[in-house]
Amino acid sequence: MALRWSRVSPQLALVPALTVTLVAFFGSIGWTIWMSFTRSRRFPEYEIDPALWWRQYERLFADGAWTTSLKNLIVLALGSALAIVLGFILAALVEREKRGEGFFRTIFLYPLAVSLIVTGIVWRWMFNPALGVENFLHELGWTSANFNWLADPGTAMYGIILASIWHGLGFYMALMLAGLKSINTEIWSAAKLDGVSFPRLYVEIIIPMLKFTFLTCAILLSLGVIKSYDIVLAMTNGGPGTSTWTPAYFTINAYSTRSNIGYASAAAVIMLVITAAVFLPLVLVTAWQARRREAVVQ
Amino acid sequence: MSALAYEASAPTLRTAARTYPRRKRRVRGSSIAIVVFLTMCAAFMSIPLYVVIVTSFKTMDQIAIGEIFSLPTSWTLEPWWKAWAEVCAGMTCEGVRHGFLISLEILFPSLVLSIALSSVTGYALALWNVRWANSFLFVLFLCAFVPFQIIMIPLVVLVANLGLFGTIWAIALIHAVLAMPLLTLIFRNFYKDVPQEIINAAIMDSGSFWKIFVEIILPMSGNIMIVVLILMITSVWNDFLVGLTFGGIGTQPMTVILANTVITQRGEVHYNVDMAAALLTAIPPLVVYFGLGKFFVQGITAGAIKG
Repeated sequence: MALRWSRVSPQLALVPALTVTLVAFFGSIGWTIWMSFTRSRRFPEYEIDPALWWRQYERLFADGAWTTSLKNLIVLALGSALAIVLGFILAALVEREKRGEGFFRTIFLYPLAVSLIVTGIVWRWMFNPALGVENFLHELGWTSANFNWLADPGTAMYGIILASIWHGLGFYMALMLAGLKSINTEIWSAAKLDGVSFPRLYVEIIIPMLKFTFLTCAILLSLGVIKSYDIVLAMTNGGPGTSTWTPAYFTINAYSTRSNIGYASAAAVIMLVITAAVFLPLVLVTAWQARRREAVVQ
Repeated sequence: MSALAYEASAPTLRTAARTYPRRKRRVRGSSIAIVVFLTMCAAFMSIPLYVVIVTSFKTMDQIAIGEIFSLPTSWTLEPWWKAWAEVCAGMTCEGVRHGFLISLEILFPSLVLSIALSSVTGYALALWNVRWANSFLFVLFLCAFVPFQIIMIPLVVLVANLGLFGTIWAIALIHAVLAMPLLTLIFRNFYKDVPQEIINAAIMDSGSFWKIFVEIILPMSGNIMIVVLILMITSVWNDFLVGLTFGGIGTQPMTVILANTVITQRGEVHYNVDMAAALLTAIPPLVVYFGLGKFFVQGITAGAIKG
């Protein structure tokens, strides 16, 4: 009897998680895809017009704001990638110079504990043209300094990138530091004995060894970029105009401001496609790397 | 395939315990240069915090002069009081105080729901012979990558049909659902290192699934519980979108109140009050961070996917 229960109980215990997965993830994704083919507006309609099922997508790609969103997504991804590069440099320096490691990590990482809304509000204040950093630079005598990035559609995105880097830098540094520490210390001594110069050591030995960590960082970064909504809202609220919209912002705007479920669903589906297109290769490469690494260890 | 989530957490957990023999080193030019450079970077990272703190203690008269980096000439607590109890968010003018309480009310059910769900699932997947465990783990791994916006609208419809929309329970439930894939992976990776012999012996001892969980597994989960708690506390407290979409009037968390206060305000802008409100919102997770730094690092690297 005890034995039989021991077989049934674990399966029963998994029912809630299974339900959540099937309903909240699979069901919801399916629902969103279905909705994107309908003409739902404020309330969901389940009927699909077979002749015009793609009309939401047609509208979407004719929408200038959506094109801007996609462009911003790429700009944001490329710009935020700087956080990985800087994170690696900082981690390498902290790792080499062991003095004050705890102190530096604490300072670099604290922004991560702060919400993106707060981050955005703080940086918006720094970017304030009349009272913020720009004014400070002008008073120092650098009168041509332009730090009023958020007001200009051409530079507003860079403001958001700067704030995102500030927020995420310590996180990538912490991941890189963990990666660097897992490298066998003998490599350092061996390289020293062989007289390998430090730049060469990093470029030719350390970075290839950290490929896995870099991939992990890249995956996490792209996930953060695709989801970026809070920071945009807090810093520019999408403006000036629609110049800092991102797909995530577009989707939520289509749902809450335009109350158009069909349209928002179509945008969400494209977000899912982008996510899958970015992740599946990255995840597969990472899994392959991990397996190869395990094979090497064994 | 859940390697990613695991691998991300493994190095930190492992190296935390390892100590390095300290090499004797002379102070060289290059190492001074490195420290100087790192200190400059640290200064850049600290500037925003410094600016927010000094701004929140300044009077509006001093802010209007425009020296953003200067210390307050006369320190005032008024902005803090205004932010806490008087500032207007939309129609109501009762400060961020109300949001603070709501955030606390959201936090506890979210923690209980998500940890109960994920730890039991992780335990069942790690230590009991469930035939489809590996496939399910892979599915959970994929689910951890799904951006919330994609499943947001159907969840709103679902929660509305359950009659929960606009309640604290709706927000807590959604937090538990969203955190489930990642937390389950974390718990499973922790529990899978429990020796199978212990479980077999416990089954022989006529221990049931739940009895083993409560009497053997839970008492040894202290470390992972702290890590997960910190991860969840910061992510639930800092969440904005779930609170915005699922909270009704009167059940919006602090971040939403803050955003309403600062971003959509009309008329004269009180920057000092804004900054005090922002700091009030940031203080709880910052306290967790500075108080439990080591666990925080483990938490965020373990919860890397959540980012």
